[in-house]
Amino acid sequence: MVDPVVYTEKLSLFSRMLRLEGLAVGPQETADACQVLLNLDLTDKALVKAGLRTVFAKSREEQTTFDRVFDGFFVSEETMRKQAMEQMAKQAQMEEGRRQAEKDLQFQGQPMDLREDLRDVYAAMPEEERQKLRNIMEKYKGNIERSPELYGNFIHSVFARALMEHQMRMEDAAIGCEEADPELGMLYRDISQFKDTEIPKAIVLIQSIARQINGELSSKGQKRSHSGKLDFRRTIRKGLETGGSFYRLSFKKKRTRRKRLVLLCDVSGSMMQFSEFALRFMQALNQVSESSRVFLFSEDLFEADPFSLQNMDLFRNYVRQSGLYGKGTDLGTALEKLCAIRPEVLNASTTLLILSDSKTIDLPRATAAMLEAKHRSGKMLWLNPIPERKWQYLRSIQTAATICRMLPCSTLQELGEACRRLAT
Amino acid sequence: MNLELLKQKMDEANYVYDDTLAVTLSVALQLGRPLLIEGAAGVGKTEVAKVMAQALDRELVRLQCYEGLDEGKALYEWNYQKQLLSIQINMQEQDKDQLTQSLFGESFLLERPLLKSIRSEKPVVLLIDEIDKADEEFEAFLLELLSEMQVSIPEIGTIGAKSVPFVVLTSNRARPLSEALRRRCAYLYIQYPDLEKELAILRKKLPHIDDRLAGQVAVAVQKLRASESILKKPSIAETLDWAAALDALGIRELTPDAMRQTAGFILKNNEDMHVLEEEPAPHDCNCGHNCGGHHHG
Repeated sequence: MVDPVVYTEKLSLFSRMLRLEGLAVGPQETADACQVLLNLDLTDKALVKAGLRTVFAKSREEQTTFDRVFDGFFVSEETMRKQAMEQMAKQAQMEEGRRQAEKDLQFQGQPMDLREDLRDVYAAMPEEERQKLRNIMEKYKGNIERSPELYGNFIHSVFARALMEHQMRMEDAAIGCEEADPELGMLYRDISQFKDTEIPKAIVLIQSIARQINGELSSKGQKRSHSGKLDFRRTIRKGLETGGSFYRLSFKKKRTRRKRLVLLCDVSGSMMQFSEFALRFMQALNQVSESSRVFLFSEDLFEADPFSLQNMDLFRNYVRQSGLYGKGTDLGTALEKLCAIRPEVLNASTTLLILSDSKTIDLPRATAAMLEAKHRSGKMLWLNPIPERKWQYLRSIQTAATICRMLPCSTLQELGEACRRLAT
Repeated sequence: MNLELLKQKMDEANYVYDDTLAVTLSVALQLGRPLLIEGAAGVGKTEVAKVMAQALDRELVRLQCYEGLDEGKALYEWNYQKQLLSIQINMQEQDKDQLTQSLFGESFLLERPLLKSIRSEKPVVLLIDEIDKADEEFEAFLLELLSEMQVSIPEIGTIGAKSVPFVVLTSNRARPLSEALRRRCAYLYIQYPDLEKELAILRKKLPHIDDRLAGQVAVAVQKLRASESILKKPSIAETLDWAAALDALGIRELTPDAMRQTAGFILKNNEDMHVLEEEPAPHDCNCGHNCGGHHHG
């Protein structure tokens, strides 16, 4: 018979692990879990898991996290030994990679000026990829000796770019692995990775998130409804129920002025899917704005007819007919044209919302146009479908982020969050 | 009540459950915690409370939540009309303080579901349905009841529970619930049943239905739910209605024609009806033959 103290210690450690994973687990939950375990058959792992899940996980998202932590924590000795062996082998491989990286990432006997994380990326790279980089170094060996300064910069940029690209691929692969629950996974997956067959499911998901946000905003709206002015008609009517005494007072509702939105949607090849999702969100959120105008752009700018945005096929046909489809992104031209429209579209009471990945041609012109548009509109926000972790690699995003607030919207969850923020 | 006994009681109540559901209910009962159930509409959240009332042999007290629900509708209200009448009758009374005090006595108190559930001599099952539809203020007001099992009435004071009800809260996730409320509850997420469970439900609830028809209905409903083009997924109640409708019409085999005739029982919006008309019959059994899906039991 195992000492019960061992169970309590293990359970306490498990609670700590859950806390580290972001679950709000307090002493009360741990005490409850102890009580649950006392009454369960401890030899049945599924039973124990279901019992503890009831106590520790308080939402569907938390259930997914709980399952992951539970499966990692309560493992058999054999699995534990196997995992330890694998981990040791991995570490040894990494050490070897680091030694190799130290040897390879040198330029004329001096270590290259690369970030530490990029050196680790090199260490974890497959041998073929490392060989490719070594071949480049070998190929330009003669040139490097003749003109070390010129070719030094070139070699450095080739290495840095290759390593960053590999790092991005590794990050993407890791995100894919996290998808345990298909529906929840879809919420947290990069929109650009959706397959065509998944789009209807994504739209259903958007509607459900929009319904949630609407519900939330509507209940917040109720809270704000008190204006302080007495509603005489209602008060008198209610008073009749209590024999004419004004037992309960009714107040007039506060008039809430909602925003006027101007949406500028990038519909160039890569952005089409994202713009469509974002527009669906905006449409589904009846609480966000009292009026909105939608402009589509790629190399030119067109105002969208609201009826054309009602469903996916109509939207796609409209974009094709407008001649914007399949072209590049020219934000500068689009913003200049938007500012030139008379009567003025942008003014102090409008919020300009740009939906684009910011990969525009002629960045200086786009920057100037953004400054002008920001000056004219009351507020300017940018919804960007590129994952936030990749922003550091893109100059255009860094420039745009200095001018207006940029919200990451690479996943449906982030897109929903951005819309929620927009509405509050 | 231990797990085995609870399972036995649920069997007696003709309820189809899986182990996770049974364990969760047992844990909530054991810890005396309210149970928060989330899931899509029509997966059987409310049914859990009804079955628990039956299994525990308790009365079911139900509070349906909606926007604007307040304490007056959920907890208690003073019977104004009765109070007014009392004032009129006792107008000649000399002791005015006594008269005022008497107006806020038990006899003028109108019990609403929450108060009723904690003042009941015998423990009850309290169902707080669709809590996500109520306002945040109401959610906060519930906290005192859920954690302390007591409520405060300004004119009377704090009323403690005579018996502790088993509380079931349901939510369709129309808005996120507060962390404080979640922390006080045991949590259960119910998904649509798989084929096996759906078939078991059909067999238990409609035992007179032909086994082959029940199988075909269960397969068809599973496929409709899995179809991405169907926007409103059929609920369990709709499955039962559909099977009952087919049976009432004397249909013994689910042919595409029969399906179209009775589609209104399973699909509840126009777009989904169009999808059904456009797509091949969803009960195709993948047998590899051109059977139309209705020649196999």
